[in-house]
Amino acid sequence: MDPHDSTFGVQLFIYDLSRGMARQLSPIMLGKQLDGIWHTSIVVYGEEFFYGGAGISSCPPGGTMLGPPDTVVELGNTEVTEEILMDYLSSLGETTYRGDKYRLFEHNCNTFTNEVAQFLTGNKIPSYITDLPSEVLSTPFGQVLRPILDSIHIAPPGGNVISSQNNHG
Amino acid sequence: MAENSGTDPAVETNTEENAAASATIIKVTVKTPKDKEEIAIAEDSSVSQFKEEISKRFKANQDQLVLIFAGKILKDGDTLGQHGIKDGLTVHLVIKTAQKTSGGGSSQTSASSGPGPSQGNTDGSANSSPAGNLGTPQGSGPSPTPTQPPNMLAGFGDLSGLANLGMGSANFMELQQQMQRQLMSNPEMLSQIMENPLVQSMMSNPDLMRQMIVANPQMQQLMERNPEISHMLNNPELMRQTMELARNPAMMQEMMRNQDRALSNLESIPGGYNALRRMYTDIQEPMFSAAREQFGNNPFSALGGNADNSGAQPSRTENREPLPNPWGPPDTAATTTSGTATTTSSTTSSTTPSVSNPLGISSSSLGNGMFNSPGMQSLMQQISENPQLMQNMLSAPYMRTMMQSLAQNPDIASQAPTPTPAPTPTPAAGTNTAQQQLMQQMLQMFAGGNASTPTPEVRFQQQLEQLSAMGFINREANLQALIATGGDINAAIERLLGSQPS
Repeated sequence: MDPHDSTFGVQLFIYDLSRGMARQLSPIMLGKQLDGIWHTSIVVYGEEFFYGGAGISSCPPGGTMLGPPDTVVELGNTEVTEEILMDYLSSLGETTYRGDKYRLFEHNCNTFTNEVAQFLTGNKIPSYITDLPSEVLSTPFGQVLRPILDSIHIAPPGGNVISSQNNHG
Repeated sequence: MAENSGTDPAVETNTEENAAASATIIKVTVKTPKDKEEIAIAEDSSVSQFKEEISKRFKANQDQLVLIFAGKILKDGDTLGQHGIKDGLTVHLVIKTAQKTSGGGSSQTSASSGPGPSQGNTDGSANSSPAGNLGTPQGSGPSPTPTQPPNMLAGFGDLSGLANLGMGSANFMELQQQMQRQLMSNPEMLSQIMENPLVQSMMSNPDLMRQMIVANPQMQQLMERNPEISHMLNNPELMRQTMELARNPAMMQEMMRNQDRALSNLESIPGGYNALRRMYTDIQEPMFSAAREQFGNNPFSALGGNADNSGAQPSRTENREPLPNPWGPPDTAATTTSGTATTTSSTTSSTTPSVSNPLGISSSSLGNGMFNSPGMQSLMQQISENPQLMQNMLSAPYMRTMMQSLAQNPDIASQAPTPTPAPTPTPAAGTNTAQQQLMQQMLQMFAGGNASTPTPEVRFQQQLEQLSAMGFINREANLQALIATGGDINAAIERLLGSQPS
């Protein structure tokens, strides 16, 4: 291996947006057990990256208003440098991951995290996270709430939006 | 390049699928952020040959291509086989935009985000926090720790810093977020800020405070979701009280302690109250974080105290009755089982800890009208004793329609037949329509629909009459005031008086 290559650890930060409420109330309200409403972000190079209603954002790890994550998963290592990643994220942020493309059920923070995780490490994120929307939608309650939920944009404050202007890493 | 396998060298550089010796041609998907293409290439080609293909297809210079697979960057000298790239797999491609081959060009841009995106703050992009003091806490890269409070205060007290702070920056919200974050991580700072005379003078001006609060987009979001909040904000008396609270750290501490006490009492309650409690905590949390920097306290607690004793100091009231209970069975809590204990909770705010207590709302402010009806009370008790009941209730098909009709007219609930006869005395103190409005709105949200609501004129009929009896003849203005304060007569009067030149 080329001694030049250092690898960077990639982690997945998982937050429960319901702060335990989902675990308690989901059997009652949905009829099935959901352990949480998961919001995820990728942490690499000492920065946290996530997608929300504001587009792709970054912040110091644990630096959004959600506080520290509930769970951290090691995704592996990557050779991709920060520069390359920023290029990648900038392009993503201009196209498929613009702020207005956010969809709570189909195209949300976890979609983004999944994609970046594969880009960086080749691994996907745990399936219980990506399966969440379909789990909810398969319940009658989820169907009823769908119009309301569709209009929700989750945008945890505390991050800086990544755009091609401020990317010069 | 022909190696052990019988590959045709000519095949490698062609895009035409060679059906003949196609055993080693693989189709690899190359994915960029913007699109993806399928490229046919020989299995044993080198990466540079692969890049050649790609550069043709994507119309980019080979030097600009960065190929990534399984977290590894593919170097020109490697082969595809070396990295395990097989048919049907996806390789990621980033096309470098070539502006910054300098600075960080080598892959050693240190893992600690050196000059990278974290510095974007001070780059003057629209998202940057203002220069100077506040720039540093955010921009210092990977260390998100609560940073220099003196810096923050200095910026705050200094007027020129102030201009920089709020008005100069294009992103006030971000500024507030930073403030919030810092405040939350360093509670002492809050008291320091409070002591700052500039802040104190600001706080003594209720209108200004209200404007500031309303201008906060988070508050706006909250307000949209919960109209009660905007009513609360529009109540000048309430504002004044909460500001006094915020100004006086000792009072604040008391409040906090009360809340904590209430919460710790909750821990000892077994059973189904947990669910309800969690629910309320969830409502409380966003309120807390949104309001903390301005109020320094849970605004609802003042609301409860306010409605309780119109005019009296809420802080002292809160002290005496620290644990009011809006949901009924007031002093039994879940521990007792008797169904008879639902005493009148309407007039007095009972001291019993209860589920939704964390908000500190006294029963008289919310309990009237709907939840104090005997039917509701016994229902609540039963629910608390048997969580299963709640589940059944919610899954009932007609639940939704019931909620909607409840939302329209909270009085229905008081007429609802009781599931079990509970020998409860009827609540005295006739239903306060203002509180009814509150419940109505909450129920509307709950029912999820936008059920047609009676017009404000109809809703506030009674209050309007009262106001005109008192001598406020301008019906329009009365109506406006009532709408703004959610039907609270006292607050409406204040509003009216405030706007009249006198």
